[in-house]
Amino acid sequence: MKASYSRYIILTGTLIVFVTAWWVIAALVNNSREIVGPVQTGTAFISLFTDPPLTRLLASGLQVTITSILLGFALAVVVGVPVGVLMGRYLVVDLFCDPWVNIWYSIPAIAFVPLAMNWTGISATSSIIIAFLITVFTIIINVYSGVKNISGSLVDCGLAYGATQTQVMTKIILPATLPNIMVGLRLGISRAIEGVIIAEMVFTVVGLGGLMDDAADNLQLAFSGALIIVLAIISLAFAETMNYVARRAVAWKESQAMVRE
Amino acid sequence: MKSSRTTPFSVRIVIFCASLGLFFVLWEVAALIAGNSLILVGPIPATQALIALLQNHLPRGTFGIQGADAAMLQTLVTILFGFVLACVVGIPVGLIMGRWKTAEALIDPWLSAAYSIPIVVLIPMLYFAIGADLFAEIFVTFLITVFTIIVNTHHGVKYVSNALAEVGKSYGASESQFLAKIILPAAMPDIISGMRIGMGRAILAAVLAEVLMSGNGLGGMMMTFQDVLNTPYMMAVVLLIASMGIAVLQLPKILERRLFRWKETESIPRELGR
Repeated sequence: MKASYSRYIILTGTLIVFVTAWWVIAALVNNSREIVGPVQTGTAFISLFTDPPLTRLLASGLQVTITSILLGFALAVVVGVPVGVLMGRYLVVDLFCDPWVNIWYSIPAIAFVPLAMNWTGISATSSIIIAFLITVFTIIINVYSGVKNISGSLVDCGLAYGATQTQVMTKIILPATLPNIMVGLRLGISRAIEGVIIAEMVFTVVGLGGLMDDAADNLQLAFSGALIIVLAIISLAFAETMNYVARRAVAWKESQAMVRE
Repeated sequence: MKSSRTTPFSVRIVIFCASLGLFFVLWEVAALIAGNSLILVGPIPATQALIALLQNHLPRGTFGIQGADAAMLQTLVTILFGFVLACVVGIPVGLIMGRWKTAEALIDPWLSAAYSIPIVVLIPMLYFAIGADLFAEIFVTFLITVFTIIVNTHHGVKYVSNALAEVGKSYGASESQFLAKIILPAAMPDIISGMRIGMGRAILAAVLAEVLMSGNGLGGMMMTFQDVLNTPYMMAVVLLIASMGIAVLQLPKILERRLFRWKETESIPRELGR
């Protein structure tokens, strides 16, 4: 616990240094059309929660953005985990899908944006499609490598004791792959967040990313900065929640890995 | 890796060709079902547009954009400079973090924060702070790439096998020898894989910066074709960007597998970075 305590002290210290540097630079530039200082941004951030019209705007943006992230991510999990397991388990599926998974995984998120715009217009649906497309392959790759690298003796042992294929799947493969699934989910959620934000920034009329980009376009930089803080908080919250879930789910595994250090 | 080594190469090629064929058939069928070339074009018009683009032909009705070769050159320059800058900064920082606890304690909280917050949200603000020229786009590319490279280098240096370090210490290696002869070679696979993923990030960053900032380059071109509903040409640019991503992320992986075969046997394969 002591280590994490000093971590927070350091974080606070560097945060103070950062805000001071930001404040000094903003004061030196002294042009609210180029850079706004921490005070104005902070004021704008507070007004997001105190000024009713802004609060409504924030609430609607938050709703769209969070729904898009969660739906895209959930869809990617529902598709990605079974596909990953099948690829890891059956050689034919592996050989058939592996090149495509790697190819699609390598496509930059921005390349999907105009396609989704053509398919479903400038809407939350497009953000969901983009989030799904850039998340699902990350999840597949991680689940797949987990299933593929399961120690053969575990499966053999199960088969020797007369386990059926379903039992092998649910009692041996899934528990053994859980750490990899969790890594996939952790990497996946940050990709989903990034995908939704990229989509919204390009669309400029949907969700928080849109609000933020729009505010910047209208030179309301303080408002834009405040929304960046909101987005950062959401991303951190999602990432930390996912980390927490992952730690809980693979607590038994972690204790083995710790020995290595 | 087990399965792919035991399966004959010819079988793999046949199955790959079959899946390649199936993909194009599915694409064509999807285009037929969509039945609207504005929404989805089939593989043939897209390929024709791609060939035209590579021959530097632009369609009628697209005014005010660069030629195809100029756009490609600009995007490549942005990616390359941003990436090289990120390596020049990121590898030493990762090295220092992996070697000295104090540096790690100072930088790590920031690094993990910067790693969980999508840096892309800063682009609209940076637009006003630093403009929208080539330099600004290189800076954005650098910013989005550098953390991936730091994290991977840090990870590689930190988890250098203790046995190696002990041998170096007991034979009285100086710090510089230790770094050059032990740490760097042992961490090299992680550094290279960080560079590979970083290069993928650099492509995303450069194209995104072009879409959101200058409207030049491949990103700008892609959105221009989207705006004027020239779907075949838009698709061609998408294919171009996608194949850049595939080339930088997949080709080095094959090289990596050959160069660091010794390493692969020791560690569990894992994907670092987003």
